[in-house]
Amino acid sequence: MTLFDERGDGSGGGGGGCGPENISCEDALRLVHEFLDGELAGVSPAEVAAHFEVCRGCYPHLRLERAFREAMRRACASECAPPALRAKVERLLAEAREKG
Amino acid sequence: MTDGPGAKPGFVEEALPHLDAVYRFALRLSGSPDEAEDLVQETFLRAFRSWDQYTRGTKAKSWLFTICRNVFLRRRERTKRHEEIVSQTATRSGSESAPLVNPVWSSVQSLDPEGDFFESIVDERIVAAIEELPEEYRTAVVLSDIEGLPYAEIAELMEVPVGTVKSRLFRGRRRLQDVLYDYAVEMGYISPVPGERIRGWS
Repeated sequence: MTLFDERGDGSGGGGGGCGPENISCEDALRLVHEFLDGELAGVSPAEVAAHFEVCRGCYPHLRLERAFREAMRRACASECAPPALRAKVERLLAEAREKG
Repeated sequence: MTDGPGAKPGFVEEALPHLDAVYRFALRLSGSPDEAEDLVQETFLRAFRSWDQYTRGTKAKSWLFTICRNVFLRRRERTKRHEEIVSQTATRSGSESAPLVNPVWSSVQSLDPEGDFFESIVDERIVAAIEELPEEYRTAVVLSDIEGLPYAEIAELMEVPVGTVKSRLFRGRRRLQDVLYDYAVEMGYISPVPGERIRGWS
């Protein structure tokens, strides 16, 4: 499946839709955060995804927003509490439990 | 941890599995490993003591984050951080009328459409950029983009409407992108966008 088809108008960011059944570029870009966050309301993810799949202008913005989020997760999401901290917490909780 | 006079049934199963997540959150809030460790210990102690007030099976992670944030905020002056937000919303990424698409992206896309320059930015720089955000933006971004909490849970945790969460996410992410873009230009990972002022230059 190709990412772009002949219907993509390449305008991105201000033009109309890329087909009568797709949402507009302005709507797609306005919804990009909710789309990536899984928080769309009132419009289906499939509809938004379909626009980004065919619009040469809008797809790069989606790609950059996604790359940005991936970089954040890569930098932060794998950090773990040090083993000594875990042991301290368990000790504190054991003391609290004993005190009642 | 299920026997003894102060036994709290279910605490180990529901709360302790989130220790790493609480630690990550505490690190981002405080920017200091030592302070983060203090925050984590106090968070779990408070959670343990209040376990009877928690309804089992209802988003223990969010509940722990709420306690952690409240502990953090009590240790810091809210007014000072609020003033930082007010004074900093005049920057190019803080305006309510900010364009839908980050202006730097409009030109970056032709130079690096896949955003590969993000791969060149070391994790420490990204972490530093997150920790430089005002607390309200930082908390929203960390809870959404790192910890994966939905808007409604973030709103409840921060005691603001969902619309405010969205606004803080938009502004926080935009600020981070601007900072990381400036860094990438400074390091030569990407060419500067013509006409775009780099933070810190006159």
